[in-house]
Amino acid sequence: MNDKERDEPSRDGAEIEEGPDSVRRGLLKMAGAVAALTLAPGVTVFARDLVLKGQHKAKGPVRYGLLIDARACKTGCDACVRACQDYNGLSHDPGPDNAQWIRKVTITDEKTGFTRSFPMMCQHCAHGACVDVCPTGASFRRPDGIVLVDKHRCIGCRYCLMACPYKARSFVGRVVKDQRPWAPRGKGTAEGCTMCVERVEAGKLPACVAACQKAGHKAMMFGNLHDPKSAIAVRLSEVATTTIRADLGMAPGVHYRGI
Amino acid sequence: MRARAGVLAVLSVILALGLVWAAHRRPVAMPVVPRAPGHCVLPTAVMLRTHMMLLRSVREEIVRHDARDTRFRLTGCVACHVEHTASGQPIPVNAPGQFCATCHTYVGVHLDCFACHAAVPETPGKFGGLRGQGAVQAAFRIPRALRGRFGASGAGGGR
Ligand code: SF4
Ligand code: SF4
Repeated sequence: MNDKERDEPSRDGAEIEEGPDSVRRGLLKMAGAVAALTLAPGVTVFARDLVLKGQHKAKGPVRYGLLIDARACKTGCDACVRACQDYNGLSHDPGPDNAQWIRKVTITDEKTGFTRSFPMMCQHCAHGACVDVCPTGASFRRPDGIVLVDKHRCIGCRYCLMACPYKARSFVGRVVKDQRPWAPRGKGTAEGCTMCVERVEAGKLPACVAACQKAGHKAMMFGNLHDPKSAIAVRLSEVATTTIRADLGMAPGVHYRGI
Repeated sequence: MRARAGVLAVLSVILALGLVWAAHRRPVAMPVVPRAPGHCVLPTAVMLRTHMMLLRSVREEIVRHDARDTRFRLTGCVACHVEHTASGQPIPVNAPGQFCATCHTYVGVHLDCFACHAAVPETPGKFGGLRGQGAVQAAFRIPRALRGRFGASGAGGGR
């Protein structure tokens, strides 16, 4: 938790939100203006209003994160990995050119033989290297802390794959078929864990967290790290946890217990 | 002199044949676009001209600004405009003769959306999707109270 001072709410959304906002309004105005050319005046206003209705609904500081209890995670269980693959339409086959949004990792202390098994995914860093290196702004961090690839902008340069110290990004090198409607993905773009962003927005748990609970292991916890009353924030304040490679200063949003 | 007259004769025959062919040639038929049930989110005339700009600005909203509650969503388009085979299987909207492909083929504009996006709606209940197809369709219909605003043609005539 030595990244605490770098991970304040003020750094977490405000500055990110301001810049693109005016750009966004400009885009919307453009859409409205085009509708205006083709329509009677009354209808023009209506069309623009409809677009502007789509506003994001941030209430208070939000940073979504995970707490993974490696003590509760079972060696050999891959319920979270399967759930992610099923939900997001990824292949079960661990082939070298198949995308991997979440994977099970086993670590062993060579001196003592102590072994732990736990899932790794995009750590949704506050200062992710992927965002820093991306030449197009495709890798970006949402105001709520979820790091995504905007595939409309991604040019497939793979800088982020190289930069991410957690190996969280994959490159889609083949034509993709049978995508899930909620998880568009296609050849020539980078991708990684989305924290099941559309499930989160609908008030559901990410698929991996839900699957872990269903499997009865309860090793994964999801919530708003910045809401002091949320279960995850309470737990983080009570028990010793760590983030992986905290020394890199990227302030991951995924916390681990028992490693 | 005689040679020149010969050339002229040949040319006029070619011209006459060309005129006959042109008179019999029919214009390229307008595409027949499959009709979707219900009402579109905007009138057809507007959607025809602006759907690409709407989708383009809304995709920024959705991907980068968390505004998934907008009614201008590609998933909504697909949910309404998908056709089904006799056995009830959804046919991709970019398949030949389907809603998107029909016009895009006619105007010769490459259709890129479905390299990444699903061209069929979610199968209800499969893989824990959030909403069934019916719910998605309902969510993108224009509310009854607003339909009158589009005049006699209705809100896009269901195209
Ligand atoms: S884990 Fe990697 S991909 Fe995810 S935010 Fe951090 S640097 Fe970026
Ligand atoms: S592969 Fe895409 S997301 Fe990654 S750095 Fe390049 S443009 Fe950005």
